[in-house]
Amino acid sequence: MPETLLDVEHLSHVFRLSKHAHIRAVDDVSFQLHRGEILGLVGESGSGKSTVARCLMNIYQPTAGVIRYQGVNILDRREFARNRKMLETRRQIIFQDSASSLNQRMKVADIIAEPMHIHHIKPPRGSLREEAAYQLKYVGMDASYLDQYPSELSGGQRQRVAIARALSMEPELLVADEPIASLDVSIQAQIVNLFKHCNQEHGFSILFIAHDLAMVEFLCHRVGVMYRGRMVELAPTAELFGDPRHAYTKALLSAIPYPDPVIQKNRPRVDFEELEFDREGAFTEVTPGHFVLQEDRR
Amino acid sequence: MGLTDQELFTPVGIRQIPEKPAGKQRWHHGFPWISAALMTIIVACCMGAELLMTKDPTFMDLQNCSVAPNAEFLFGTDTLGRDIFSGIWYGGRISITIGVLATVISTMIAVVYGAVSGVGPVWLDTLMMRFTEIFLSVPSLLIVLFLQAIWGEANMLSLSVAIGVTGWAGIAKVIRTEVRQIRSSEYVLASRCMGGRFFHVLRKHLAPNFLASIMFMVIMNVRTAISAESTLSFMGMGLPLEIVSWGSMLSLAEKALLTQSWWIILIPGGFLVTLLMCITNMGNYLRKAANRKESNL
Amino acid sequence: MMKQNLLLYWGKKALVFLVSVMVLSVAVFYISRLAPGDPLMSYYGERTEKMSVEEKEAAREKLGLNDPIHVQYVRWLQNALKGDFGISYKYKQDVTEVIGSRIGNTLILGGIGFVLTFLGALGLGILCAWHEDKWPDQLLCKGGTLLSCIPEFWLSLVMILVFSVTLQWLPSSGAYDVGHKHDILNRAEHLILPLTVVVLEHLWYYAYMIRNKLLEETRADYVLLGKAKGLSKKKILLGHCLRNSLPSYISLMAISVPHVLGGTYIVEKVFSYPGIGTLSFESAQYHDYNLLMVLCMLTGIVVILGNLIGGIINERIDPRIKAAEVTETSEVTWD
Repeated sequence: MPETLLDVEHLSHVFRLSKHAHIRAVDDVSFQLHRGEILGLVGESGSGKSTVARCLMNIYQPTAGVIRYQGVNILDRREFARNRKMLETRRQIIFQDSASSLNQRMKVADIIAEPMHIHHIKPPRGSLREEAAYQLKYVGMDASYLDQYPSELSGGQRQRVAIARALSMEPELLVADEPIASLDVSIQAQIVNLFKHCNQEHGFSILFIAHDLAMVEFLCHRVGVMYRGRMVELAPTAELFGDPRHAYTKALLSAIPYPDPVIQKNRPRVDFEELEFDREGAFTEVTPGHFVLQEDRR
Repeated sequence: MGLTDQELFTPVGIRQIPEKPAGKQRWHHGFPWISAALMTIIVACCMGAELLMTKDPTFMDLQNCSVAPNAEFLFGTDTLGRDIFSGIWYGGRISITIGVLATVISTMIAVVYGAVSGVGPVWLDTLMMRFTEIFLSVPSLLIVLFLQAIWGEANMLSLSVAIGVTGWAGIAKVIRTEVRQIRSSEYVLASRCMGGRFFHVLRKHLAPNFLASIMFMVIMNVRTAISAESTLSFMGMGLPLEIVSWGSMLSLAEKALLTQSWWIILIPGGFLVTLLMCITNMGNYLRKAANRKESNL
Repeated sequence: MMKQNLLLYWGKKALVFLVSVMVLSVAVFYISRLAPGDPLMSYYGERTEKMSVEEKEAAREKLGLNDPIHVQYVRWLQNALKGDFGISYKYKQDVTEVIGSRIGNTLILGGIGFVLTFLGALGLGILCAWHEDKWPDQLLCKGGTLLSCIPEFWLSLVMILVFSVTLQWLPSSGAYDVGHKHDILNRAEHLILPLTVVVLEHLWYYAYMIRNKLLEETRADYVLLGKAKGLSKKKILLGHCLRNSLPSYISLMAISVPHVLGGTYIVEKVFSYPGIGTLSFESAQYHDYNLLMVLCMLTGIVVILGNLIGGIINERIDPRIKAAEVTETSEVTWD
């Protein structure tokens, strides 16, 4: 049994829009992330994936639930304060929009070195600049980019810089919030390969949020499916793609294009706009490691 | 068919994009050279007042009161017999110093206040902004007046502080709006996730972003402060007569009007307005330059 | 439901107004009492210096100056709510009477100045927008920048120097000549110079604002549509662009009340025009607490009202302002 790195129990988060209107962005979500694992989180936009990520990073204070990182309850103020430095160095987040997650007025070298600068870490490779160059090289860019501004880079390059910034702290957990959603397909593949490399060579654990199922199938060990704030299914990748149990997962999988025009044309299409999927029931383990949200049949 | 081909085929609904001159626009495009030069000259002369002064500007030559400009008194003398030519440079230094000092004070208050209000929770922000509105609603002259009354006799420092603490609200509001806009942008979130504390985020991320937009206001604040100094001193609520500044020189105007000594009013005022005008032009240039850069991002 | 919401909306605005006024009154009261200087001087004038310590003490007791400030404030508030604002130490009259005799003058000067500025700026702004970047526009913009740099008091001085002292066309001070209190022509003559200064000082800024607002509007897509439909320039600019930019201009004018008012006060002082402005300066100089208090409150209320009205108009025109407030509440909090 691999070590549990992150343990999320009954996480709920409600946004209050006004006195009368509020949105349950995340509703009773539980899952675990093991060390050295890539866990995918898929679902349509607005299903609460990013909110989960932000709760994990302490950006939002969730309404209910417990999040434990290596046994530390990060939602408890006192425990968080005690382990603050550890959490800030070992968890890192990568955002979807690389254009807005990098400060337009800072040079690449400064962006990558920012976390080390904050924590006054002595760079293992001499100067902060050399450290930045090393990280940049690791993500596949050469040192000539060090003095450029984010606006001078392409989307893929910017995302690499964001990854390099996250990796500079040698984190244990990388939360990637739709890191490939705004990139071209060919660049997406490069970035996904980079993640895979990070995971295989260095053992980073990754929470990978996406809505591109093909990429998730290729990259992740396990996949959780979210629908309107609830986790409806969680299973090892092969099992989820081979034997989906929840109606929503099935519908989602039917949206993957099949690489044969004749078959693709004749497949039934699901219209998501009109469908209302089951969101009630308990999260039950149907086969070992395969959880589905379903009515209790006992 | 009176229409030419040209007229017939002029497309409707296509925006006319003015052609840009070839090559990159250089930084000094539209730079107000004249204003900059004039300002430099005035400021330099005031700073080196001792080299230019022909008389002691505070000496009251009672035999030469209200003398029109002549060879000895280049700009004439005021109703107390002080040489205006020397007073312009000597007093200008005080006026400019007060303007700069007051602006530094305003800006420092504004940055901290605006940033705290911008990143603070909603209730604090509402409270602080409500306070600025009330603050702005009290005529600033009155506040200066009160402060002056508390400190008793005005001197350079007290007047600067008094003007400074009344002039921060506008800048603070702009900073607060800017900070509100960028505080939930992802690079600020990222910095906080990495462990960046308030002052780190302020220095590294927030300040560089709002500096461009307050630069114009800061320059204009110098203008307002110099103007305020002269107005207050003229009203008899700023610097006393013994301390020569452009404002206190003008406070003799009422006596000057009786004797029709136009030079006492027009000469210091002319310098004052010229300097204010130069500052305004520089400020406008800075604002345009900042806007241009931002739209290129 | 709608009606209830509306009630809540106005209730909130009224509450904001009341709280602002309260805070203002406390602040003014405290600051004015903390300032050094002897209010007895304004009450008894020269006699104060000859008074013995006991006499002074008795006088203070009589005027209620010996109590702690908060006691004085509560007393003032109680009386004020009954409509009794106390007497002016300097004029030995009811504060309301002193102000009543002056406020008309300020209302005439400030009111006419405000309306003239408002209308003149509108006209000039349209003129500039019509001739964008041609010589009238450039001339007006340059001239406006220059005028906006001239402090009010100096412009007033130059006006007096030119028109009263040198040319002797117009009177330089007061609201009317002795014995001509009810002579409207005489009053108007006295009003010309101060009014000119008030209008000139502010006209340009607002004209510039409306010019920019109009030009911004002309960049919008609906103007192209209008052009494509064959509407004339006049119709587009006056019928559509102006109508769209007018509400924000009106709200700007409402917010700008303190500037015009402050300017009026200075102008009053230079021209020795017997209005609220000169009275304010006097009352502050002579520590005439009761008078100062009411004057500050009066000015403050006008300004707060102006801000409030401007804000309401803005919210009405631009629902985004409210929407932005809603989204902000769901944002991140700082620790």
